[in-house]
Amino acid sequence: MPRPFVQIFIAAALAFAAPLASAQDKPHASIESFHAQCIGCHGIPGYKTAFPVVYHVPKIAGQNPAYIVAALKAYKSGERSHPSMRGIAASLTEEEMKKLADYYGAPAK
Amino acid sequence: MKHIALGLCLALACVAAHAGGNADRGQRLALVADPKDVKTAGGKGCAACHGAQGEKPSAPEQPVLAGQYYDYLVQALSDYQNGRRANAIMKGFAGQLSKQDIEDLAAWFSSQKTTRLHDQR
Repeated sequence: MPRPFVQIFIAAALAFAAPLASAQDKPHASIESFHAQCIGCHGIPGYKTAFPVVYHVPKIAGQNPAYIVAALKAYKSGERSHPSMRGIAASLTEEEMKKLADYYGAPAK
Repeated sequence: MKHIALGLCLALACVAAHAGGNADRGQRLALVADPKDVKTAGGKGCAACHGAQGEKPSAPEQPVLAGQYYDYLVQALSDYQNGRRANAIMKGFAGQLSKQDIEDLAAWFSSQKTTRLHDQR
């Protein structure tokens, strides 16, 4: 194989391998990546759901952390049915739920 | 023309008032009924677990209601009532509420000033 092709091949292999290696280092995505999912709806004052019924997305900052965990678990188990929240909660471990709940439930600064 | 405009304004005002629920009635509905106290007659018991203004839950896994959005509270109570939210305790309490009761309670709790609930972290 001509040398330039070998180099390209190695570079491509490394490019594919790098994300895999970092994903193995962190089996679960960082908690910050979950915040990004939350604030898209809960961080916008007055933001409303669009589906299946239109109403204000609840305020969660300052809510009881144990209640936030209970709500996330209820979405994950299907006791609560909002489609977006079910999808997000299903991707969370209990440990991640607790971290998010502690962050959002902490008293306002 | 003036009359039509006035009529429209009144109609809109009625809709707005209805959509907002009656917070004064909601305040009474939120109480725990005590046979010895006539002022609590008709109370649905919310205060026992959430606090009279929805600001002091009696256990950590119960939510703060004070200052929560009106329409979210209406949605939550309606979902408990029709089983879309499965919670044995809240199903029992929400089950005894009329649509008007739900709107009035939501008006009461959502209108409470709170230092706790916020839109943003």
